[in-house]
Amino acid sequence: MADNIEAIQKSIKKYIAIGALLIFFSGLTVALSYWELPTHSLNILVGMILATIKAALVALIFMHLNHERSVIYKILVFTVVLAVVLFVLFVLAHDDPLTFSGFYSPVEQ
Amino acid sequence: MDIPYTVHARPDTGLYNAKIGIWLFLASEVMLFGGLFSAYIFLRVGADYPWPVHDLDVTLGFINTVVLIASSVTVVMAWACLKLRKFGWYRINMAITVLCAAVFMFNKTLEYKAKFAHYAVKLTDGTLLTGHLPHGYQIKFGDVTELELSVPVKNSAVTADPVGYVLPLIDGEAPKFKTEDGQEIALDSKSFASLAASALEKAKAANKGSASIKLVSATPLKFIAKPSEIFGYTATTLTFRDGTTATGKLTDDKMTLEVDGVDARGVAQSEKSLAFDHRYLGEEWQKAFVANRDHHIAKFEKDYPTRDKARSATLQKESLFFKLHSATPPAAGEAHGDKHGAEAHAPAEGGHGEAHGHHPTVVLEKKDITFFSNFTPKLNTYYAIYFTLTGLHGAHVVIGALVLAYFLCFDNKRLKQDPEHLANRVEVGGLFWHFVDLVWIFLFPLLYLL
Amino acid sequence: MSAAATSHDHAHDHSHDDHAHDHHEQSFVWKYIFSSDHKTIGMQYGLTGLIFLLFGFFLMLLMRWSIAYPGVPVPAIETIRSIPGICDLFEAMFGRWLNADGSLNGELYNMLGAMHGTIMVFFGIVPLGFAAFGNFVMPLQIGTIDMAFPRLNMMSYWFFFISCVLMMYSFFVGTGPVQTGWTMYSPLATTTSMGVTSVWSHGHTWWLTAMVFNISASLLGSVNFIATIINLRTKGMAWMKMPFFCWAMFVTAFLLLLAFPPLEVAAILQLSDRVFGSSFYLPTGLMEGGKHLDISGGGSPLLYQHLFWFLAHPEVYVLILPAFAILTDIIPCNARRPLWGYKSMVYSVLTLGFLSFLVWAHHMYLTGMGTMMSTYFQITTVLISVPSVILLTCLMVSLWGGSIRFNTQMLFASAFLPMFGIGGLTGLPLAFSFIDLALHDTYYVIGHFHYVVAPGTIFALFAGVYHWFPKITGRFMNDKLGKWHFWPSLLGMNLVFAPMFIQGMAGFHRRWYDGGKYFENTSGFSHWSTTLTHKIGAFFGFDIPDNMLSLNIVMSVGAFILALGQVPFIINFWFSIKGGKKTTSDNPWDATTMEWATPTPPPHGNFLFDPVAHRGPYEYSVPGHGTDFYPQWESEPGKPETKPAADKVLAHH
Repeated sequence: MADNIEAIQKSIKKYIAIGALLIFFSGLTVALSYWELPTHSLNILVGMILATIKAALVALIFMHLNHERSVIYKILVFTVVLAVVLFVLFVLAHDDPLTFSGFYSPVEQ
Repeated sequence: MDIPYTVHARPDTGLYNAKIGIWLFLASEVMLFGGLFSAYIFLRVGADYPWPVHDLDVTLGFINTVVLIASSVTVVMAWACLKLRKFGWYRINMAITVLCAAVFMFNKTLEYKAKFAHYAVKLTDGTLLTGHLPHGYQIKFGDVTELELSVPVKNSAVTADPVGYVLPLIDGEAPKFKTEDGQEIALDSKSFASLAASALEKAKAANKGSASIKLVSATPLKFIAKPSEIFGYTATTLTFRDGTTATGKLTDDKMTLEVDGVDARGVAQSEKSLAFDHRYLGEEWQKAFVANRDHHIAKFEKDYPTRDKARSATLQKESLFFKLHSATPPAAGEAHGDKHGAEAHAPAEGGHGEAHGHHPTVVLEKKDITFFSNFTPKLNTYYAIYFTLTGLHGAHVVIGALVLAYFLCFDNKRLKQDPEHLANRVEVGGLFWHFVDLVWIFLFPLLYLL
Repeated sequence: MSAAATSHDHAHDHSHDDHAHDHHEQSFVWKYIFSSDHKTIGMQYGLTGLIFLLFGFFLMLLMRWSIAYPGVPVPAIETIRSIPGICDLFEAMFGRWLNADGSLNGELYNMLGAMHGTIMVFFGIVPLGFAAFGNFVMPLQIGTIDMAFPRLNMMSYWFFFISCVLMMYSFFVGTGPVQTGWTMYSPLATTTSMGVTSVWSHGHTWWLTAMVFNISASLLGSVNFIATIINLRTKGMAWMKMPFFCWAMFVTAFLLLLAFPPLEVAAILQLSDRVFGSSFYLPTGLMEGGKHLDISGGGSPLLYQHLFWFLAHPEVYVLILPAFAILTDIIPCNARRPLWGYKSMVYSVLTLGFLSFLVWAHHMYLTGMGTMMSTYFQITTVLISVPSVILLTCLMVSLWGGSIRFNTQMLFASAFLPMFGIGGLTGLPLAFSFIDLALHDTYYVIGHFHYVVAPGTIFALFAGVYHWFPKITGRFMNDKLGKWHFWPSLLGMNLVFAPMFIQGMAGFHRRWYDGGKYFENTSGFSHWSTTLTHKIGAFFGFDIPDNMLSLNIVMSVGAFILALGQVPFIINFWFSIKGGKKTTSDNPWDATTMEWATPTPPPHGNFLFDPVAHRGPYEYSVPGHGTDFYPQWESEPGKPETKPAADKVLAHH
């Protein structure tokens, strides 16, 4: 944690710059969402990558995760692993990649 | 007796208590929103209808994004200023943060309000009509002379409660009723209670499960009710939510809808959608629809010759979700300009309100309607998860803003005596606030854009 | 650790300013009701938990009656209905659903079943095991003065209290409490009685609201536990010197912290389905009573099951880990032997905690997931049995070569080992999807998890009550009454749950309110156990038929014995508070962990001196040491730590 005065003084400018960058990325996300890629999944992928970058900036800079104590990292790594498990297994349990036995078929309209 | 490490960090962990606390709380919040996002994925993967994309107000959403990011910057600045003991700047930054939260919630209210006033009606063939109900939707029932109320002997959730569920729906003055004994009463809670008590005694004596009370009205009654206010009806009976049935005649259950959109994506042959039946929008609109559809298909074929038309959700939406911008069909040639292509991106409820006169009005028959709802969680799983996610996020915004406002307004004593402690508190509150911002960073593209 | 020491001094510098506060006489309300002291909150949780255990048990007795004697009026029903005061309460909660002749029907049975599960899990065992023992003992064992966030701790209890009130209120609303099992599966749970006048007259709405409060309480509690263990360990209390009790509570708190939010999501979405008419869990085209429901559809019932079991499997470990926690204090203390394999236990419990999040869909084999995912969940499920077995084995080996004191808590603790073993081993077949398909929702499953939590966890909880009672009150519980409590309980538990395995493999479904009376096969064949029952019955002059249904009678007799067995406990508990034998020392069991270094009962602020952990927590029978125990807080052999706390010294200046 940036506890000494000089470090904090320096970081103020950084915060504003990151804020501007975040707004820029948000605009980019909106613009890219109107640009039709070959499949919509690609659009989602691009949008999610941008969102992840933004989220990482907020977490690292604003929430000071770029220099945090190890206890916090341990808690968060554990949590993030479980959240990913939650995402992945939910979908896999229904669209089994081995047998394609899931009840969802690609939407045909 | 003081709890150690409330202000200064424990040397071996390097953390003060509240910081561990907030990170643990955020970990649990990650799982909360993780659960919601996996529900989102699950519902989206399994949706049996075209998942709405760009259907919400993107402009408003983008403004809110900017507002939240700005507040995130100011809250971290507030903490930094407090650390540097620049109290004036701390106050300014904190005030901006709370103000941003207010702006965010104001925008949210605008967004929700527009949704509640906007309706979608699903027809039997799968067509979805969107629009407004200028008079609401009411079922009118007339010629009622007899009410049958049922009071179960055992305490149960459904028991006759005519004062709560029947009388308010009568069109006009409540008349006097005649009981089976020939007694004439004005129905109110007191008279009904004594009526029910005597009926219950009879039922118990006869060993029946419920007591039935018949009331005859001197003059024929009329009922006007919203569908949510009653339990169900047929052509000759009306059942109220308390189980009471009225015998009479259904006079009107048609729905008057100002149509602003025809979504034919659920229909096999879109031009034959029920919406273009002669009773409803009619042939002229059908022509406009077909022209618009073919225009977009041709454009798509020209722009992306190698792509599969059936797999483009955007094309499906542009060609089959037809927006109506005038009360009468546009003249041929005007119907499809690039204007429509651009406006297909506009939010579905955009431009309503002042534009009521600019939409054709149809009167839908009940037998053609399978389902209708305003744009609330009931409409489909997309709006259900949209309201849940944004609603919970909104609740977090409000709580976070209240906490920050408390630090700003009511923690001045600490500011003077123990600014280090206040800085810790602001840091902890700020961490929560950043998390709220972080959730929005994912919410915005997932719900508004993609 | 020298750095820690300096900051300790600093912390005490701080406390001088507020020293005057110590002498404030707190009023009764602030001391016992809205208390922020971890010990009082622990006791509040403990009493509430015990009352709910008793209540949940009572619900089970009614169910057992209906299973053994379907259609026969509940005994003494007329007496209950004539007792003034109780009769109205009974009538409003249960009586109004009974058949005219006073016998149970399926509707009431379903309510009892759902509420038995809910109350036992969320209102009985978790509050008692985790919140009560954790709150009372954990801060003492790590040598701190209170939890990290005392006011949040108080809030946690009062959230829990609100949730208790709401849950009990659901008995009184129009439709009565939920009838759809403690799992509350949609769409049934969402659509039953959807047409009632108002959503608030449906018990399900109250169930969900109560659960939202219960979950919030658990979250507050677990944040507090973890922060306390991380940051408030006293000097010398390194991670690997921490009693296993605290490790188990630490992992349990993590399970609650991370597993409960998805259940909160599940509850919120189900509430939305019911109150706002959304279709999260309702598939397209759902019909009820031959009528299409007025819903949009498009949701999936499986979503609910995933969210629910993502919580509910870790929840199983939330139920069992506090039991292990308690035993790791009681077994070494009464065997006078160090805990065997402390480190392997710590690593096992951490592994267990992590793995418990990865196994949830083994509750859902019947939903027909694909081969790969089914394989995955079978593997993880079998894997998780490894750390569980390590924990159990370590406890068993700890007994080896000990000179065991068979006091009441040790009896309960030693009964736990085989009972939990049976529960765990019978779970192994259920880990395999092909066996589970046959046994799903049969009494086999009921037998399995009840062996884990009833003679398992609940025995450990009883052991904990006997063990820490002297610390809380300064008086022992009566040992003779304790044995009168233990033996009938052990007999009753086994009579209730062992026949379930036989019935389950015979295909008895768990939700038959009549115990299978109307199914031909249930009375069609016999088994050695039923023949035995028949013969024993004949010996005593009862005519018990030689078929599977007779086991219902065995189980219900077992439940009755179990009920009788609790009477000595209730008497013992209340009378010992004022009338038990007084303790003569602060460490009556000659234990080594730090809670025994405090005065009895521990005052606000806990320790009279600055506790320092000089050694590991299980130093029993150390060779060359004078006594057979070597407490953590003693600095030199035989010399108790008497250096007063810094502020106490200053007070004399």
